[in-house]
Amino acid sequence: MSLHAYLIFSTLLFGVGLYGLLQRRSLVAMLIALELMLAAVSVNVVALTTLTGRDAAIGQVVALILVGVAASETAIALSLFVAIHRASHSIDVESLSELKG
Amino acid sequence: MSGSVLAALTAQVAPLAASAVILTALRGRPRAAAATAIAALTLSLAASAALVWRIAIPNVAWVAQAVWLPVQGSPGLAFGVMADPLATSMAFLVAFITLAVMVYSLGYMHGDPGFARYFGFLALFGWAMLGLVLASNLLQLLVFWELVGLASFLLIGFWFERPAPAAAARKAFLMTRVGDVGFLLGVLLLIRALGVATIPDVLAAATGPAPGFKVPLVAFLLLMGVVGKSAQGPLFTWLPDAMEGPTPVSALLHSATMVAAGVFLVARLHPLFAAAPAVMQGLLLLALVTALASATMAMVANDIKRVLAYSSISQLSYMLMGLAAGSVAAGFFHLTTHAGFKALLFLASGIFIHHAHSNEMKEIAEHEPLSQKAGVIGLVTGSLALAGVIPFAGYFSKEMILGAMGEHVGGVVLALAYLGAGLTAYYTFRMVFLTLRGGAAQRGHADPHGAAVVEHEYVFGARAMAGVVLVLAALTLVLGYLGGFFATRLSPGAEHEGPFAIGAGALVALGLVAAGIALAWVEFGAKGASRVGFAERNPAIKDFLANNWYVDRLYNATVVRWALALSRAAKWNDHTVLDGASDGVAMGTVWSGRILSMVQNGYVQAYVAAAVSVVAALGIWLMRTGGRP
Repeated sequence: MSLHAYLIFSTLLFGVGLYGLLQRRSLVAMLIALELMLAAVSVNVVALTTLTGRDAAIGQVVALILVGVAASETAIALSLFVAIHRASHSIDVESLSELKG
Repeated sequence: MSGSVLAALTAQVAPLAASAVILTALRGRPRAAAATAIAALTLSLAASAALVWRIAIPNVAWVAQAVWLPVQGSPGLAFGVMADPLATSMAFLVAFITLAVMVYSLGYMHGDPGFARYFGFLALFGWAMLGLVLASNLLQLLVFWELVGLASFLLIGFWFERPAPAAAARKAFLMTRVGDVGFLLGVLLLIRALGVATIPDVLAAATGPAPGFKVPLVAFLLLMGVVGKSAQGPLFTWLPDAMEGPTPVSALLHSATMVAAGVFLVARLHPLFAAAPAVMQGLLLLALVTALASATMAMVANDIKRVLAYSSISQLSYMLMGLAAGSVAAGFFHLTTHAGFKALLFLASGIFIHHAHSNEMKEIAEHEPLSQKAGVIGLVTGSLALAGVIPFAGYFSKEMILGAMGEHVGGVVLALAYLGAGLTAYYTFRMVFLTLRGGAAQRGHADPHGAAVVEHEYVFGARAMAGVVLVLAALTLVLGYLGGFFATRLSPGAEHEGPFAIGAGALVALGLVAAGIALAWVEFGAKGASRVGFAERNPAIKDFLANNWYVDRLYNATVVRWALALSRAAKWNDHTVLDGASDGVAMGTVWSGRILSMVQNGYVQAYVAAAVSVVAALGIWLMRTGGRP
C-alpha cells in the first residue's frame, strides 16, 4: 500500500471524528469522536515515519505515547462527565451553556 | 576652627532633630514636645553664643564647605558653613528670638489642641533660618530660603481649620513665591557662571574686573526675592494678612526670621549689590515709597497686629534704605534692634490679645489693659524704641541709617526718610494711646468679663509670657549700644561717631519724633480727645489707606482674576477634554467588549468549529504561501 492510501484513510478517519465531535450532543459520543481523531493522527505519524525511509521506531514510540495520552485523557474526561451528570443530571452539551459572555 | 564648625553644625542640627522628633513621635505629648523644642533651641543658642565669641568678637571669617558628589565640569552640591561676624551675630539673634518666642508660647498657646505641632513647626522655622544664615553657598541658601517660606506658611496657617488663616498662609506663600522666581533665576545664573556659588567667590567675582555674569541683572533678580520675602514695594500685602497666625508666630516672623531673611540676604551679598549702583538706587526709592506708604496704612488700622505689621514693613524699608545707601552696619544694626523691639511689641500685644480675646485696639482698651503690667511695660518701651526715642534701641539704629543716607544720598529722599521717622512716631503712639487709654472713660463700669478671664488664667504660662516680655523690654535699652560693634566689623573704614553723637540730623529726627508723639497725644491721648486721627477724617482717604492703597483690589482685579480664569480654563480642559478622552476610551472598550462577548455563546461545539476553521484556514494559507508573507 502506498503512502497516499494511508493518508487518505487517516483524513477520512479525522473527518469522521470531527463530524462526530461537532454533530453529536452527548458528551460521551463527542469523546469517542475525539478518540477517532487521535487515532487518525497516530495513523498519520506511523505511516509518515515508516514509509518515507526514516527510523520506524520514532513513529511507533510517538504512536504509543499518543495511546497513553488518549487513555489518560479519556479517564479524566469520563470522571468529569460523571461529576457533571451528578451536578446537572445531564450530559447534553447544548444544556451546558452557562459560561457565556 | 573645628570647634567652631562643630558649634555651627550643632546650632543647625539641634532644632532640626527636635522638629523631626516632635512631629513624628511627640504629637500627642505637648509637654514633652515643648520641652524638646526649648532644649534644642537652648543648645542652638549656646552654640551660636560660642560662635559669636569665637568669630564675631575677634572679627574673623572663614568658610568650611564640603562638595557632595563632585562631578568634573558641573556645579555639584556643596554644603558648608560660612562664619563671619554678620552670620554669627544673626545666628545668635535668630536663636535668641526663637527661644524667647517658644518660652512665651508656653503660656500663649496653652491648651491649644495643636500645641505639640506648633512647637515642631517653631523648631523647623528656627532650623530653616539658622541654615539660611550660616549657609556657605547660594544653592544651600536657596534651599533654606524656601524652607523659611514653608515654615512660615505652616505657622501662619497654623489654625488651618478656619478659612482666614488658611487663605492668609496661601497668600503669603504664593506672593513670596512671585519674588522667589527671580531669586531662583539669579542663583541659577550665578551657578552657571561660578559653579558652586560659594558666597566669598560670588562677591569676589562681582567686584572683580571680569565677573562672568551680568552683575546688574543678577542683582535685580536676587532683589526680586528680597522684595517678596521682606514684603516691600508691590509684594507687601501678604504681611498684614499674615497676622492671622498666632501672635507669637507674628513676633518671630517679623523680627528675626522670614522678613529679616530678605534684608539679611542684601547684607550678605552687599558687595554684589553695590557693584550694580542703578539697581541699588531703585531699591532705595522702592524702599522709601514702601516706608511712607506702609506708615500711612498704619495710621488708620484698627487692629493692633495690623499696625505692627505695617510698622514692620516700614522698618524693613528703613533697613533696606540703609543698605542701599551703602552701609551694611546701619542696615544690620537696625535689623538687630528691630528684632528686639518688634518681638517685644508683638509679645506685649499678645498679652493684651490673650487677655481681651480680640485684636481690635478699642476692644482691648475696654478690658482694663492697665491691669496687664508686663504688657504695658513691654508695649510702651517697645513703642519708644520703634518711634526712635533716645535712649531706646530704635533711636540709635535709625539714626545710623539716616546718617548713612545723609552721607550718600541727601536731598528729597533724605527729607522723606526723616518724614517717615516722624510718621512712625505718630502711628506708634496712636496705637499706644488707643490701646491703653481708651478704657479711661469707661473705667467706672469696667467689663466684668475681664476679671473672670483672669481668674482661671494659667499661672505658669502667664509668668513665662510676662518674663519674656520684661527681658526683651530690658534689651531695648541695651541693644542700642551695639552700633559701634557692628560698624567696626561690617562697614570697616566708615567712621562711627559713637552712640550719643548728636548732630543736626539727630536733632531734626528727634524733633519730628516729638512732633509725631505730640500729635498722637492731642488726637488720641489727651482727655476729651476726638480719638479720630487726621488721616481718618475723610472717609475716602481712610478707605484708601485702610485697604492697602487698593493694591489688593488691583491684584484681585488683574492678576488674581486672570489666574482664576486660567485655572478655570485648565479645569474645563481637564474635565472635558482630558477626562472626555479617557472616558471615551473606556466607553469604547466597554461597548466593544459587549459586542464581542456575543461570540462567547457557551456552546462547546461552536468553539470547536471556530478553532478547527481557523486552524484549517491557517493551514491552507501556509500551504499556499509556504509561510512567507
